[in-house]
Amino acid sequence: MQTAVVDAANRHSDIAELLRAGHRDRAFEALLQRYEGKIYRLCCALLRDRAQAEDAAQESLVRIWKALDRFDGRASLSSWIYAITRNRCLTALERRRVMDSLSDSEVETELADASAAEEPSEERSGQLRELVDLLPERLRRALLLFYFEERSISEVALMLGCPEGTVKTHLFRARAALTEQLRKRGLADPHLWLESGL
Amino acid sequence: MTDSERPSELERTLDAALARTLTPPGVPAAFRAKLRAALVLAGDSNLSDARSRLEREQREKLEELERNYVWLRRRTLGTMIGGAFAAGAAAAVALPWVTANLGPVAPLVIASGGAAVGIGIGLASWLRSRGGGDFQVRY
Repeated sequence: MQTAVVDAANRHSDIAELLRAGHRDRAFEALLQRYEGKIYRLCCALLRDRAQAEDAAQESLVRIWKALDRFDGRASLSSWIYAITRNRCLTALERRRVMDSLSDSEVETELADASAAEEPSEERSGQLRELVDLLPERLRRALLLFYFEERSISEVALMLGCPEGTVKTHLFRARAALTEQLRKRGLADPHLWLESGL
Repeated sequence: MTDSERPSELERTLDAALARTLTPPGVPAAFRAKLRAALVLAGDSNLSDARSRLEREQREKLEELERNYVWLRRRTLGTMIGGAFAAGAAAAVALPWVTANLGPVAPLVIASGGAAVGIGIGLASWLRSRGGGDFQVRY
């Protein structure tokens, strides 16, 4: 993750320069251009709900804007932005856990049922999404962000705030779990996936 | 890369399938507009914070001025009372000596001189305050 942090620091030297010169609005505009999508995707991966992800992304950006003057450059800008975003998502998850404690158990039951189902779903894409949703949270987040961020392990590591080795391990385990599930469901034939166009 | 490390056909196919299935979600169309509105609201709350802070500071300053004013009035009153008694004591001590050395009219002359000086200072101060002089406080 160290090289990624250095790269990120170099990439955002212009924003740091604008901040040092006191141009907060312009710095925020540049930051928004670069991070808006990444922040939203990180929120989507962490929260699994588009509406909540939008709210969390917005709240994160407002916090970033408010705190931009206090950014001292000791951490890389991206690490700082992702840390704020993760904290907002954790708060949202905590709030949701309290509010929806009953419906959560229903979701878990549904997922367990889906897991136990022997028959494949109608579409391969749907099946794959379903299997990804059944993965443990940490593996699912790493996998989603890996494909959202064009297979960049260093970016995923920055977004999740963990070492690249951990991301690689999570990806390896996620793929192994998916392969195992495919085998269990009799979908482990590669030609099946090629024929379906996926 | 050894054969065991090389990804199997299933793994390669799965990777391609995942890449096509897990497409990055696009930022909602109205996201920027909502964000701008949220930033304006956040700015307003900053302004409101600043306003209440300034109001609080002004209140504190006024209270301090009030305290200083009362303290000044007490000090002035104390000085006047103390000064009057000190003057009385000094007069009681000095009066026999002044009468003996300067004559019986001397105490009256000295008292009249002091009264004239005091009245002169008071009058000058009153005139300057009426004429918008240095003592007038502007807001």
